[in-house]
Amino acid sequence: MIGPGVKRGTAELAILSVLEGASLHGYEIARRIEQQTRGKLRFTLASLYPLLYRMENQGWVRGAWQLSAHGRRRRCYRLTSAGKKKLSPLRQEWSELFRALRRLTKVANA
Amino acid sequence: MPDWRNVVSDHLAALALEPHERAEVIEELAAHLDETFVDLRRRGFTEEHAAKRCLSEVRDWPDLRRKIQSARRKDDPMTNRVKQLWLPGLLTFVLSMGFLALAQIFGPKPWILTWGHPPIALFYIPWLFALPFVGALGAYLSHRAGGSRRVVLSSIVFPILPFVAATLVILPGSLLFDHFIAHNPAPMAILLALLGWVFGPGVALLVGGLPAQLFLSRRLTSGRTASN
Repeated sequence: MIGPGVKRGTAELAILSVLEGASLHGYEIARRIEQQTRGKLRFTLASLYPLLYRMENQGWVRGAWQLSAHGRRRRCYRLTSAGKKKLSPLRQEWSELFRALRRLTKVANA
Repeated sequence: MPDWRNVVSDHLAALALEPHERAEVIEELAAHLDETFVDLRRRGFTEEHAAKRCLSEVRDWPDLRRKIQSARRKDDPMTNRVKQLWLPGLLTFVLSMGFLALAQIFGPKPWILTWGHPPIALFYIPWLFALPFVGALGAYLSHRAGGSRRVVLSSIVFPILPFVAATLVILPGSLLFDHFIAHNPAPMAILLALLGWVFGPGVALLVGGLPAQLFLSRRLTSGRTASN
């Protein structure tokens, strides 16, 4: 299981990544991240929304109310152009970090 | 099925946002819990277990409230800290010093507590009677700006913090470096200085500040519940 410190750092990347493909509401964002990471990353309501609101404030995502097929009002988030610009270097940074960690652990095991 | 909107609005009654913004946050979080509940029921959870799992999504509601406030507000945390702590604290400190000066100039002679020959503690009784109002004002201003319980408490006792610094840092420091101060009665002098300038005024500030804080948070909660 990944520890909370690393999770915090990857949370923004995870949200931006799932929103890259589609506009989703909060619960769907949490479910997709959980499914796509096979349960390694899990967002609760308490961890998801403060982060979503902060990202919205920074202009990376934008929320808008929509009516679902069942007539429920839900706030769906989509990636803004600033969010798309943010995603690419963020991915680069994390993949570099993971490559570096892999190299490090290989050297340690050798 | 539990009424998630009521659950969320009860817990986030003190969310310091514009009313329409607060209503949006409550609706969004209630919709999330609603989706979670329906999904859990679909996966075979009993109603009771599904409700329990939903409620476990938030372990600390006051902490969530503060995080949402901080995330939704456009201004930076420094501005919040100024509004919630420094402004109320400085205002109550100035008021407290003003009342002390008035008590010293126009009030009766202070009540003197002696212990041994030189160490004494002075109690300006009219000042001590004025401090509960100062504490209540600090609580009100900090609470209105959306301060957490800890920040509100700090605002209440803010006027005595310079005395704490003076008694615990400056006085022992001067004992070390100033050879004209008698060293023998020093511990008792520090204790009495703490009693007269920190504990006494601190209790007086809390006597006014704590009930004010309690009253304000209850009023906000009942107001929000009634409006739902």
